[in-house]
Amino acid sequence: MSIHGSRRRFLKRGAVVASGLVLPAFGLQSTYAADPVRMRAIWWGGQDRARRTNEAIQIFEKQRAELKIATESNAWADYWTKVATLVAGGNAPDVLQMDYRYLVEYAKRGTLLPLDAYIPKLLDIQDFGANNLDSCRVDAKLFGVNLGTNSTATFLDTAAFAKAGIPLPTYAWTWDDMSRMSQEITKSRGKGFWGCMDSGGGEPAFEVFARQYGKDLYTADGKLGVDADLTAAWLEYWNNMRKANGCVPPDVQALDKGSTDSAMLVLGKAAIDLRHSNFLEGFQLAHKEKLAITMYPQTKGGKWGQYIKPSQMLSVAATTKNAELAVQLTNFLVKDPAGTKVLGIERGVPASPAVRKLLAPDLSEVGRAMVDYIALCNDKVSPLPPPPPTGAGEIQKLLNRQNQKVGFGQATATVAAKEFVEESKRILG
Amino acid sequence: MTAAVSDSTIRLAPPARARRLRARIDTRLAGYLFLLPWLVGFFCLTLGPTLSSLYLSFTDFNLLQSPRWIGVQNYVRMFFADPRFWGAVKVTLVYVALSVPAKLLFALGVAMLLDKGIRGLTVYRALFYLPSLLGASVAIAVLWRQIFSADGVVNGVLALFGYTGPSWISTPSTAIYTLVLLSAWQFGSPMIIFLAGLRQIPQDLYEAASMDGASKWRQFRRITLPLLAPVIFFNVVLQTIDAFKAFTSAFIISGGTGGPIDSTLFYTLYLYEEGFGNFRMGYASAMAWVLLIAIAASTAAAFLTSKYWVFYEDDGKR
Repeated sequence: MSIHGSRRRFLKRGAVVASGLVLPAFGLQSTYAADPVRMRAIWWGGQDRARRTNEAIQIFEKQRAELKIATESNAWADYWTKVATLVAGGNAPDVLQMDYRYLVEYAKRGTLLPLDAYIPKLLDIQDFGANNLDSCRVDAKLFGVNLGTNSTATFLDTAAFAKAGIPLPTYAWTWDDMSRMSQEITKSRGKGFWGCMDSGGGEPAFEVFARQYGKDLYTADGKLGVDADLTAAWLEYWNNMRKANGCVPPDVQALDKGSTDSAMLVLGKAAIDLRHSNFLEGFQLAHKEKLAITMYPQTKGGKWGQYIKPSQMLSVAATTKNAELAVQLTNFLVKDPAGTKVLGIERGVPASPAVRKLLAPDLSEVGRAMVDYIALCNDKVSPLPPPPPTGAGEIQKLLNRQNQKVGFGQATATVAAKEFVEESKRILG
Repeated sequence: MTAAVSDSTIRLAPPARARRLRARIDTRLAGYLFLLPWLVGFFCLTLGPTLSSLYLSFTDFNLLQSPRWIGVQNYVRMFFADPRFWGAVKVTLVYVALSVPAKLLFALGVAMLLDKGIRGLTVYRALFYLPSLLGASVAIAVLWRQIFSADGVVNGVLALFGYTGPSWISTPSTAIYTLVLLSAWQFGSPMIIFLAGLRQIPQDLYEAASMDGASKWRQFRRITLPLLAPVIFFNVVLQTIDAFKAFTSAFIISGGTGGPIDSTLFYTLYLYEEGFGNFRMGYASAMAWVLLIAIAASTAAAFLTSKYWVFYEDDGKR
């Protein structure tokens, strides 16, 4: 009997100790009266973006007593995995960076907070303009706030062009021009340097190409918008480019992970890189030669293929406990001079004319080139395509594999294109 | 059991004995209490998710919405309608078949060299173990890229002989072999185990054998291998399981894609991509269960065949 008594006592003691250890860890016990309000913000991007964003958020934090914001910066490749896991675990961050590709997916599943009710009092973004706001709407409700606009853009190593003795292309250059110039640049250099990256597996470039033929990559009802012939023409263009030594060989291109530091241009292996305009600053920081920016090549007699889109948005999680604070933080980052000055134009050209005006005097040469570029594009683009359907991320990888198959000689462009269309249809259902 | 013993003893025991017993039981409880973190971890973090993944494998689950029961559809798709699945199976089997023998041969060779009683054994042992500690790191992946890329060290050496090599690490026909090499290079833990096994072989057997005029090779065949068999068996089982689960090296080196053209798409990498990249968590769960069964089957096969080649010194019948 005494043994049982003692055992019970022992267990009790143990339980008290254990609960003392465990409960605070699960947040069940609030021991401190003056707990700060805790929020979390998460984004993807490089080092420069992390530095700027953290700095801006710290300023916001300091303006309010008892506010603590935990931040997290991820690489693009890991970001969506992370967010999906957090959301699935009922643990969504209060404020999250959102991409046009994923907006519909997250909004339709009820994970984001509609923001219309906060305009204009807490969210002073009416000056973004109707077009911009509409591009962040799903089912007529605003789920994202634009952090900056961008468009696809070609970056050019000016020194390599000078060395090859060819003038820099203007926005009106064609795909054939790019092929010819690339070959000349390769010829003018020694081993290990080529005119152009291999962008045959690049979905944004393929999309622009298809739109020049009047086809969107995806239709409004979420089906594949391109056919096998158009895809084959695209893959064949790059196959010819490889054969003519205009672009980097497939085994070199395969090491490009889509990040700035693994880009062919940044690694000094190519002079032409097909990218998005807001990357210009990061690329220039990592490249010793002066870079120039122009539009993607055109198709002779074709339509305008590019479009201007919200490069990133900020969204607020539907589950946030501090909706007003989260909206205020969003407003701080896109509109408040204190925040926008720190963020600069690293995420693209700000949507608010007031912010653009504020930033204009302090722009670096590269920054100005980027702003000018978007201004140049303004009347040379076609409307924003419908948001990509679920599964678009998979198709992006599929295109890259099919381009590699052609590059490594495992399939002809025609066969690879046919497979691409069939496989895409299976993915999209 | 404890309860039965203690109850019967209490009735007979004088107070002093009861106190001792109580102390013993307290110790036992304390033991369980110390085990608690592991038990909680096992039941909450391992068993729970494992069982729920069995349920999820019969559902369509995209992480954001609640799972929807679809029966065996995931399994049907896996076996009959997903060429990438079979591609991943093939890549993984090739990897297991090559990396396990390569790593164990390497480990055994180095262990035998170290067993010769060279000076500074502990230093060498630590040095040879080092790659296994660094193995899964980003730095090693970067190093591997440096060595096996188009302008890497390997091609630098080959260029001396007038041969221009490809970028080994990003060519579909060679990429998997660079990963096999990376795995073989991380031979540290089987080496330590081999070394311990070699130490246990009585030296007089070798002395007797060499007096009888047996060559080194014969001694290795007739003494070292049979007596080391239990250790080899242990290492084979462990390394095979590890190889089936290989993920990190391919994930980092291929940038998470398993490329080029899925040539390094390990089973687990594809599982990860399907679950977290393409939001097909139900399908990924089904894949996890198939992998579990495959590993269990291969381990069972190893145990069943072991009686034909594994000998235990203290078991006269075998």
